[in-house]
Amino acid sequence: MPFISLFKRRTAEGGELKKDRSHIRVGIPKFLNVWSTHRFWIGFLKALGIPAKNIVFSSDTSEEQFREYGKGRIGMDSCYPVKVLAGHIGELLTTKKLDIILAPMVYSLPSFLRGHVVDTLSCTRVPMSVENIKAGFLKECNEFEKHGVKFVNPFVSFAEPHLLPKQLYESLKDALDVSYEEVERAVKKGLEELKRFDSEMRKKTREILEWCAQNNHPCILILARPYHMDPGIGHEIDVEFQSLGYPVVWGQYLPTDKDLMDWLFGAEIEAGIIKSPFDISDVWTSSYSSNTNEIIWGAKFAARFPWITAVVRLSSYECGMDQPTYTPVQKIVEYSGTLYFKFGDLDETRPSGSIRIRVETIDYYVKKYSPHIIERKLKRLEERKVPEGFGVIPPPRNASTST
Amino acid sequence: MEVIQQYRAYRPRPLKGEERGKVKIVYGGLTWKHERLIQGALENAGYKAEPLPEIKRADLDIGKELIDTGACCPTTFTAGNLARFLKEKSEREGREGVKEGYVFVTIGACGPCRFGQYHESYERVLENLDFKDFRMFLLDLLQMEQNEGGLEITMPLTFGLVYSMFLGDLMTDMEYAIRPYEVIPGETDKVLKESIELIYDRLKNRPSRGKKWGSLLWHVTTPYFVKVLKEVRELWDKVEVDRLRVKPRVKITGEFWLQTHEGDGNYNIKRWLEQEGAEVIPPPIAVWMDYLIYLSLWKMEESREFVEKFWLKKAVIKLLLNLYHFTYNRLRKALNNIPNTLPPQEELRSLAKPYFHHFLAGGEGYMLIGKALYAHLNKHAHMICELSPYGCMPNTMSIGAMQAVLGKYPDLLYAPIEIKGDAEVHALSRCQMILTEAKKRAQREFEEALERTGLSVEDIRNYEDERPELRKATYKVPHYGYAGTSANYVMHVAKLMGRV
Ligand code: SF4
Ligand code: SF4
Repeated sequence: MPFISLFKRRTAEGGELKKDRSHIRVGIPKFLNVWSTHRFWIGFLKALGIPAKNIVFSSDTSEEQFREYGKGRIGMDSCYPVKVLAGHIGELLTTKKLDIILAPMVYSLPSFLRGHVVDTLSCTRVPMSVENIKAGFLKECNEFEKHGVKFVNPFVSFAEPHLLPKQLYESLKDALDVSYEEVERAVKKGLEELKRFDSEMRKKTREILEWCAQNNHPCILILARPYHMDPGIGHEIDVEFQSLGYPVVWGQYLPTDKDLMDWLFGAEIEAGIIKSPFDISDVWTSSYSSNTNEIIWGAKFAARFPWITAVVRLSSYECGMDQPTYTPVQKIVEYSGTLYFKFGDLDETRPSGSIRIRVETIDYYVKKYSPHIIERKLKRLEERKVPEGFGVIPPPRNASTST
Repeated sequence: MEVIQQYRAYRPRPLKGEERGKVKIVYGGLTWKHERLIQGALENAGYKAEPLPEIKRADLDIGKELIDTGACCPTTFTAGNLARFLKEKSEREGREGVKEGYVFVTIGACGPCRFGQYHESYERVLENLDFKDFRMFLLDLLQMEQNEGGLEITMPLTFGLVYSMFLGDLMTDMEYAIRPYEVIPGETDKVLKESIELIYDRLKNRPSRGKKWGSLLWHVTTPYFVKVLKEVRELWDKVEVDRLRVKPRVKITGEFWLQTHEGDGNYNIKRWLEQEGAEVIPPPIAVWMDYLIYLSLWKMEESREFVEKFWLKKAVIKLLLNLYHFTYNRLRKALNNIPNTLPPQEELRSLAKPYFHHFLAGGEGYMLIGKALYAHLNKHAHMICELSPYGCMPNTMSIGAMQAVLGKYPDLLYAPIEIKGDAEVHALSRCQMILTEAKKRAQREFEEALERTGLSVEDIRNYEDERPELRKATYKVPHYGYAGTSANYVMHVAKLMGRV
């Protein structure tokens, strides 16, 4: 496509759709990093003329889904979040009457941590899983062809947004009969949608944190990969805490507003320990992976924010990316006096009884220690300007200053 | 716990310029041959250097105890190995002696998989052994700079390391091509050792041509290493081989550390295969660098519209690639082309294309599929033995993708072996089953070649008596479209005899 760059400038703004695509049905497996980019895909497909009702996601992960549609499709052992992709694709293929299955190979992600980290790559398994699971549907015969479905798996590097139009055009031009300009416009729309969604979520989280501050109420931070929001992967541990009355926030959507950042990280920036609030090099020296970087940053946030008095870490069985982070994350959190709990090795089995018991134990500790933790962390921030909305309430008198 | 305390990551004390030549650089992760040659390159640059001890089964258990659970087996083995080194050294030289007298240098970049985070596990080792003030430095492949002048990555050192890699690879290829056919058992290993010592000595004493352009020019143009290899060839000339032994050729692929390794870390699988009657095709490290350079070229091509001076940059990378291959082939030639060529990356990429996107980096990327198909379709091997570490992220993914390949090429003999450390019997017996089939194929090929040429083994033996150079280890037998060495040899003799 050597000449694309010449005419793309002329046609980048505005422009009509080349053809009517309102009848096309596109299925997207709800797996791995689709959990953090789904808004992009919706915006992108809508901009190409596919109505929202024709954009179909697979169901949440479940044992039944895997058993029914995924078994026998995978030829290796892997972490659970990858394994279940077979069920998602099988379900889409068998039950949704689609024209296209779109399973993006998300190589890198847009991340608010860009700048002071080396890269924002996905775990290698994330993009590779698609080629892996696809093979399970090709090994005996081409199952996609049999069902009259086109399988498209574009390689997408969100960290290099200027390459997205090309990557998506290459992979979708035949399946959707699109022009480069249409794809370019659609990418822009998709990215806008994603950004809007992301900032809305951060705003919501800020509101929760402000409420905690105003009511001097402890809050729980979940540190996990985005797909742990899938009930089949994260086992709804967050919901358990909510049902006990705790506001629960996720690391991915913590607020990043300047006033809040100055309050929490300002002193360390002034001391030259870090270059910006989003610099994690003081605790993590190999910042290649976007999700990992964000988990590390979330831990730093928790270590400084007074009303996050407990961090709950979720991790899937055989997660290779999480493995080297266990000790550093725990230390980042615990050194600050914040409570740390880990639910590791999550897989398909969901021992709700034992999860409940652990949650209750955690509840006991959080109740007991939160007042001290809040007070001690506030003390550390004494000298700094409190951001608006966090009208700080003086800690209760009887809280001690040491553990 | 102190309220205001915040956790900070491990930072090594700097290694100062004046410490160079006093403090020993410790490194590891490759074969003993490569490591000995690297030692020569480092000593040439004025460092004291020592490879880590050979990996042992015990390292896995030590590693498991010290680092977070769930690590892949190369991480666990190498972390345990470092721990054993620290323990054993401190018993002999005292903790202070170890802290002051050694620094550990490891590659720390490459990003996408755990490889980029190995050092986190090494840190757990230092922490749990109370060795936090032992110095460990990360060499980022792209930013080879280290602090305070103690570790300085100069042109001569970089070239020394590249040549160590090339020469280590070539000697490994010689070793595996010859040992299965050696007439006097043990001779290959003896000659190999002598060769490595000779090359080590020359690497160490290579002339200095300054630190910049002079050195660059010298390393790119010099016949110095070709001359060294000619001396090496004379050593190998004396090894007598019997190429009429029918052996299946087994190509090793898999995760970088595991496929390169020669020891307990991969059940000593290359030696084991030889004992089981196979000829092994080992994977050169140079392929890996070639792959990385190609990846960067293709990445740049993908974003050509956004790259300033694209054509110039492309020309520079192409030139670099040409030089790389030219040098490798020039060295191969000095050994009469017995070592294998580097597989063509463009072709590996296109073979793998329907199954694996070439930008999916991590593990072997597209190479796992590309190499297997390349060897199979070009009849370079009877069987592929793919080594995958327990708990590996990328490799398990490409193995899964191989399902579709095997659906299309059902006659590809493929043995994916998971290395766990404690499941040796299971892994080896799986491999053996496929090897049995490969043996049959090698035998069939051999018989077919005899039939085609009308020769008998006795005819060939008689002919060998007239032309004893045929039995030299350094005699090159061309490829006649058979995977097996013996079948190609039959064809070659027939050709010499004017039969085909
Ligand atoms: S990050 Fe962990 S759980 Fe997620 S795909 Fe990678 S290995 Fe699996
Ligand atoms: S490629 Fe696999 S075995 Fe190698 S470091 Fe990465 S995860 Fe570990």
